Amino acid sequence: MSKIEIKDLSFRYLSRTKEQNPTIFRQLNFRASENESIGIIGANGVGKSTFLRLLVGILTEYEGLLQINDLPVCRENLTAIRSRLGYVFQDSDSQLFMNTVYEDVAFGPKNQGLSDAEIQARVTKALEKTGISHLAHQPIYKLSGGQKKLASIATVLSMGTDTLLMDEPSAALDPENRELLIQILNELPGLKLIASHDLDFVYDTCQRTILLSNGIICYDGPTKDILTDQKRLEENGLRLPLSFRFRNLNS
Amino acid sequence: MNKQTQAIHNIHEADELAQRDSFLISLHPLSKLLVTIVYIMTVMSFHKYDWNGLMTMSLYLIIIMITGELSLLGALRRLKIVLMAVFFLGIANPFFDREIAYSIGAYQIRFGMISMLTLFFKAAFAVFASYILIKTTSIEDICYALQKLHVPSILITEIMLIHRYLIMMLRETQRMFQAYQLRAPGQKGIHYSAWGSFVGQLLLRSMDRAQRIHDGMLLRGFQGTFYPNIRTYRVGFSILYAALWCIAIITLRLVPLFTIIGRIVIH
Ligand SMILES: Nc1ncnc2c1ncn2[C@@H]1O[C@H](COP(=O)(O)OP(=O)(O)OP(=O)(O)O)[C@@H](O)[C@H]1O
Ligand SMILES: [Mg+2]
Repeated sequence: MSKIEIKDLSFRYLSRTKEQNPTIFRQLNFRASENESIGIIGANGVGKSTFLRLLVGILTEYEGLLQINDLPVCRENLTAIRSRLGYVFQDSDSQLFMNTVYEDVAFGPKNQGLSDAEIQARVTKALEKTGISHLAHQPIYKLSGGQKKLASIATVLSMGTDTLLMDEPSAALDPENRELLIQILNELPGLKLIASHDLDFVYDTCQRTILLSNGIICYDGPTKDILTDQKRLEENGLRLPLSFRFRNLNS
Repeated sequence: MNKQTQAIHNIHEADELAQRDSFLISLHPLSKLLVTIVYIMTVMSFHKYDWNGLMTMSLYLIIIMITGELSLLGALRRLKIVLMAVFFLGIANPFFDREIAYSIGAYQIRFGMISMLTLFFKAAFAVFASYILIKTTSIEDICYALQKLHVPSILITEIMLIHRYLIMMLRETQRMFQAYQLRAPGQKGIHYSAWGSFVGQLLLRSMDRAQRIHDGMLLRGFQGTFYPNIRTYRVGFSILYAALWCIAIITLRLVPLFTIIGRIVIH
């Protein structure tokens, strides 16, 4: 059984004026099964965030087949689909809306109707994992960019979902927290989709990678193969990851 | 601090106060709500010439302001516009009610003046009492109290969402204002030629952000009901607090304390 199944997916943003928006995806195909870690890479504006937004059903005006856990992504199924999905926004300000970190991390579990004790256990664990227990009662607006990112990740971890979608999770993190996040992701079971420009990060967390270009997936395979393909990366506005560049220098 | 930052600061103040450890804040919101309502009703019940009686009611405010570590100056600054409006409520009284109450030397105090002052202080006391309630109770606590009073949950959710939207809009304003100022050094405020696009942008951007935040809420299982935070309150203390204050306020209403003190002093 595949967790995510996409067949002939086409999408363009609805336009409020007469002029039509350009097509973002045309006839895209994709499949993912449980316990995979998949990196999504591509140039700025190619549609990585859009791809994730389609999967969580924020955008629903697509054509083609889009199924998660064998349920088509449409209005009626959203509650069922989202109860098993965690999504980390590209910009943390959209993710965090409560007063304090604690309240925000507790928001998801509260909506799942858990008991107070269970909620507290979940929150404590998520904060510990992301290393921000000391910020629990800090107002959100007093956090730094990276702290906000960690808090956003904690809000999703506390929900205990089996599928995790992340949009630029490593942006804004310092090297130490970036490493922490890599460790968290590698320990976490379940399906993970990670959109990122940080190719070293993708290399450290994902076995499989897809490259988006011109509305389709133009590469889908082992991460290592695409990340060492200098020509292909450069055609898509990307560059060899630093770790590979140094490796080349050494040999 | 510019105006936007100030506004954000104000709106967060109560929420931050709520994180602090203070006696008033640890009380159950319902007990504070009850005392405030009893207080305001008692204040309103004084006769329009009962100046001495009304003044005893200031005791409650003074005690709470001190125990709650609230600054009087801050309160006055925050409430100045409301107080000014309240002042104009009774401004015509001295002209209608010209009977002389007492004369002190050459000065004659008319009943109209007394009723003007009592009206002003009644309103001012009510405003202060509400202000204290808001200052010592976070929005979550107020919503929790409302929920306990069986106010429909849709209304409570509405209040919480509006509160969030307000914060977000202020934040967006601040961000845009700062971006503008950084690229227009030396300019005071925003040039009128940019007002149109500024306001338009602000609306679009805050709507866009509200949409994204709403998406974020839905993604985390929001089903249309906001669950106010349930903190642990000191229930025993809260009941005691409400009971004692209600008794004290009603006693002060019945016993003209200041008149008695005045008599003792004169004798
Ligand atoms: N709300 C919207 N309405 C119309 N077009 C949009 C909207 N949001 C994004 N787009 C367009 O869709 C395209 C894909 O955007 P998307 O945010 O998915 O790119 P991305 O791959 O995530 O880029 P980045 O690497 O910069 O994050 C962009 O060209 C963008 O201009
Ligand atoms: Mg993006």
